Amino acid sequence: MTADLTLRPAARLTRPRAAPLRLDTAIGHAVMVILAVFCLFPVYWMIVTSLRPANEIFDATLWPTSASLENYAHALRSIPVWRMLANTFAVSALVTLAQVVTGLLAAYAFARWRFRGDRLVYSMIAMTWLVPFQVVMIPNYLLVANMGLLDSLSALIIPHFAGALAVLMLAQAMRSFPAEVIEAARMDGAGNWRILWQVIAPNLRGTIASLAILVFISTWNEYFWPLLLSRSPENSVIQIGIQMFMTSEGTAWGPLMAAATMASLPILLIYIVLQRQVVQSFMKSGIR
Amino acid sequence: MADLNISGVKKLYDGKQVLHGIDIAIQDGAFVVIVGPSGCGKSTLLRMIAGLEDISEGDIAIGGQVVNDIDPAGRGCAMVFQNYALYPHMTVRENMAYPLKIARLPRTERDRRVAEAAAILDLTPYLDRRPAQLSGGQRQRVAMGRAIVREPQVFLFDEPLSNLDAKLRVTMRIEIRRLHRRLNATSIFVTHDQVEAMTLADMLVVMNGGHVEQMGTPVEIYRRPASTFVAGFLGAPAMNLMPARVQGGRVVLEGAGGHALTVPGLAIPEGTAFTLGVRPEEIEVARSAPLMAQVDLVEELGGSRIAWVAAAGQELAVMLPRDLADTPVSRLGLVLPAGALHAFDLASGKRIALTLAEAAASQRAAVAVA
Repeated sequence: MTADLTLRPAARLTRPRAAPLRLDTAIGHAVMVILAVFCLFPVYWMIVTSLRPANEIFDATLWPTSASLENYAHALRSIPVWRMLANTFAVSALVTLAQVVTGLLAAYAFARWRFRGDRLVYSMIAMTWLVPFQVVMIPNYLLVANMGLLDSLSALIIPHFAGALAVLMLAQAMRSFPAEVIEAARMDGAGNWRILWQVIAPNLRGTIASLAILVFISTWNEYFWPLLLSRSPENSVIQIGIQMFMTSEGTAWGPLMAAATMASLPILLIYIVLQRQVVQSFMKSGIR
Repeated sequence: MADLNISGVKKLYDGKQVLHGIDIAIQDGAFVVIVGPSGCGKSTLLRMIAGLEDISEGDIAIGGQVVNDIDPAGRGCAMVFQNYALYPHMTVRENMAYPLKIARLPRTERDRRVAEAAAILDLTPYLDRRPAQLSGGQRQRVAMGRAIVREPQVFLFDEPLSNLDAKLRVTMRIEIRRLHRRLNATSIFVTHDQVEAMTLADMLVVMNGGHVEQMGTPVEIYRRPASTFVAGFLGAPAMNLMPARVQGGRVVLEGAGGHALTVPGLAIPEGTAFTLGVRPEEIEVARSAPLMAQVDLVEELGGSRIAWVAAAGQELAVMLPRDLADTPVSRLGLVLPAGALHAFDLASGKRIALTLAEAAASQRAAVAVA
């Protein structure tokens, strides 16, 4: 190594010297590797199990001896996977769009206007974020049932039309938006509507993207609410499809894992494409 | 273009009064600079003219029309902000065209005005860049361009040069003045920088603590400051102010020496204590004089030198004459010429007439105003 560096001094200038391997860094890395294995192993196991033939399903080998796509074929035959994926995508996309739009409108009001009780309303919205969905599930169910929307995709979307996270995140971002720019827009003749959509929103692209990713992923992974509402497979999302392999006669683990793998793929793709953005949005929102 | 009338304007924030009845009449086409220390209410006043702040009391009229209840866009004012306030996601062209787009001007007219403003401000090569790709001076010019294209009746400038470095500030100052000469639009410029104030203004308004201390041309204000505040605020270094008293028909400096000055036609009654003022550049320096001063420190400014001296128990700033420029000095004789002295009331700080001639002149001025 030394000889190599002396022979090529240019490399020495451009390449930072490798940090000496110290004990504490080594321990740190070891811990991270263990944690990573903990997180990744279930995903790995899901994929491996989905490739195992039925008679090997409970094998503890790390790799299936005779991998096959039989489980995928089975899954595609027994439930309308494509339809369900399309449903899930449509629901997630519409919920995301709706939350961004309603969030922007509400956040603008909170960030820009002073009105009687504004702080109270804001903190009440913040509080709804702390209430678990299971608490409002039954009232929501009754509401949707009375609207005659049971077993429909609309019922999956409407209760999520506005979200506290969206309002809080966007209001925070808008508060730090320079007041002078908004005043300049007012002097230029822009009203509130223009200021929101033409001046503020285009400059909050980063926050909006983060928010959209968070909402999309969490809607995609939603299970309880669809479980409560869905009756027919055609009006269900993929998470319900997975559950359909768990019957009173037993669980079809192979097709279930195949369906689960297919359900994860779109999210995995989003993650791969927007990796940096996704990690940032999780850090920004301070959750998970 | 229009004249602008501010009458009896007050501003209250949560019951606390920050502007105490401002009256300013601005002629069409004038370049008015409002100057004062931070917190004096100058920016608040400008924002009230712009329509960004409500008027608690009083009226603001532009071109004869009271605009109190007209929204900012309808007042015919364009504002240049301290931090430029450009739209970060728009190009220079879009930034400048935005107010015209909102006003639904036809595209050809928009393009014509933007091209014209860009040519005036040397921005033509940068029209397709975004603000982040521009230097501070260029951003400031875009902000001015956005104001120019609207062809406003009144230009408002809110400390527009304070974020620029010293050299650029001088360049932009001259550009703003040239621009005013070219467009001849009524302009109101707020600053805390006295050099900007002196150099830019046709009319200078000095504000302090929510009041107008003095209004007038820069030269008038410099030569006849209306109060110790104005005397101390304009001029670098500031006017020397020292306690004095009239004794035996002469002006006697309080303090160690008890130095007495003969002022012909002294108008201040015997025994009165007051504040005496004299500008550093008006003090004459001699090898020896009845008033001797100990030099404490000499500041080299290149073109001139300022000596900080102790005389008659006071610290005074003295501008050294050129012929003394290179000699080291430790003791100086000082002459305070009677014609260069200012007198201020001890309690209120307001200007009082030092001589009979001054008293007569101010009486004439008062009669003329009335």
